[in-house]
Amino acid sequence: MDDAPILSARDLGHAYGSIVALHGVEFTLPAGRIGLVGANGAGKTTLIKILLGILRPTAGSATVLGFDATKNMLDVRSRIGYMPESDCLPGDVTASEFVIYSAGLAGLPPNAARQRASDVLTLVGLNEERFRRLGGFSTGMKQRTKLAQAIVHDPELVFLDEPTAGLDPEGREEMLNLISRLGGFGINVLVSSHVLGDIERTCDWVLMLDGGRVLRSGPLSHLVDADVVEVKVVGDPTSLIERLRDAGAHVETTGTRLYVAASTDPFVLVRDALAETGTGMWSMGPKATTLEDVFLEGSGS
Amino acid sequence: MSDRGVVFDLGYTPHEGERRGRRGAILTTYRDGLYRVFGIRRKARKKIFPWLLVVFAVLPAVVFVGFAFLLSTFAPEADSPFGGHAEYFGITGGVVLLFVALAAPELLIPDRREGVLAVYSSRPLRPDDYVGIRAASLLTVIAGFMLIPQVLMYIGFAALSSEGFFQALGTNFDEIPKILGAAAVYALAFAPIGLLISTIASRKAAATGIFLGVMLVGTALAAALVEATGVPGHRYAALLGIAEHPTQVSDWIFGRVGSSDLIVANNGFDPWISLVVILLVAGVSSAVVVWRYRRMM
Repeated sequence: MDDAPILSARDLGHAYGSIVALHGVEFTLPAGRIGLVGANGAGKTTLIKILLGILRPTAGSATVLGFDATKNMLDVRSRIGYMPESDCLPGDVTASEFVIYSAGLAGLPPNAARQRASDVLTLVGLNEERFRRLGGFSTGMKQRTKLAQAIVHDPELVFLDEPTAGLDPEGREEMLNLISRLGGFGINVLVSSHVLGDIERTCDWVLMLDGGRVLRSGPLSHLVDADVVEVKVVGDPTSLIERLRDAGAHVETTGTRLYVAASTDPFVLVRDALAETGTGMWSMGPKATTLEDVFLEGSGS
Repeated sequence: MSDRGVVFDLGYTPHEGERRGRRGAILTTYRDGLYRVFGIRRKARKKIFPWLLVVFAVLPAVVFVGFAFLLSTFAPEADSPFGGHAEYFGITGGVVLLFVALAAPELLIPDRREGVLAVYSSRPLRPDDYVGIRAASLLTVIAGFMLIPQVLMYIGFAALSSEGFFQALGTNFDEIPKILGAAAVYALAFAPIGLLISTIASRKAAATGIFLGVMLVGTALAAALVEATGVPGHRYAALLGIAEHPTQVSDWIFGRVGSSDLIVANNGFDPWISLVVILLVAGVSSAVVVWRYRRMM
């Protein structure tokens, strides 16, 4: 994977009549595994439909792998895969036939389609079930088949819309492992999910949407690894708080729990302040920030 | 070398071979359409009706030729009680009507109901491509229904001809464009309406029922309205008999004007008017189908 952005948008907007689904959306996303997060109605599905060329934006433009998503729809569709959230499997054919068909639809010759379908169904753990009709598949098996059809043609980028929807914990774990492996196969991934834990597990860049606008876009490590120290003190923390604030630190408190941010190393600052004020502590460490914290903070919820 | 088995993790192998792009997608979808209407690679029950209709379409042609063989052997002077190419369209027209009622829903509705359109939307196909290929699959099969029995008869009658096989082929050569023209008229009269109804209906059984209703009840309704002499311009109701128009045009092509008891003909409408109605309905139906699919894909 090179450094060229795989997805970008400039002042992108879309409205369904008077309902604005996306407004002024701007982003540049690098190669890798991208998480697209947002609450229901945030505009995730609309954005994916625009990137697939299904919807025309009412404002701005978007590119996929360097191609304009609207003007070069066929170039885009020749290079991507898509695992929709909703059902997309015909019940009266076998998994093998459907994945072979999906490969053919992507332009693979018949022999290559058969070979790739067999390989990919094995990869997703459906080798034993590949000659069973899809109508009899469990939800987990259907999700795996949907993933298989999305990657059978070895796309440069695959869109996964709520890939763990409806899965039991074991199935979810297996699906997340599969998604994590895709990057190693040279396939860029855009995972759309409202389960923020799934994004934390699988992605290295996050695009957050809220109310049709971009809330945050950046590397996951930058979003969740806030340079904040969490310290739980013994007794009254007032003197410690005053000492830290005098030293220029930003301090938030929840009872005897302090969250300290500073322009210099906050660990050193807290250590010194504890020593100078003689304050005892139960524990000290980096604040555990989750993607959910970042999202809730950004959306003002 | 060790004689112990070794397990290799083959992992994931990128595809570095040929990619056919849109051309490959079109060919794959077209082939799928043909398989689908005949129930190939589907459950056995999906094969029953289409293949039964194939038998209904072809068997009479075999009987016609067989009877002609018996007559030429045992009563060379007698005329065959069966007709020729023109009359045979009366048989295959009915079979094709039933076939379109079953095949058009099979081509469009499952992809929508089962969400498979989402997969097409991530492949190098435009909505117009999808609709066009599905229509091409249907038209191909209709052409097969119409033309295979005609070819059997054409070759069979030539083989039995007293003037010799090749001479008879040449003598009857002017029948070929008529056969092709009549087949095209039937295909244009039935396929676009079948596809239109399958675009609107959400279930295959409903689409089949509505199509047969439009075709069969429409003709009966036309007859009833024509009889309502109190209504000004009531004779124009004859044009609602959609199923009769291809018969009228087919008869016209074969020079059999006035030989059939058609409501549309009996009310003074020339065959060219039937042709215009067929083209108009086909055009409007096709436009609506394309419009609907552009909104979905």
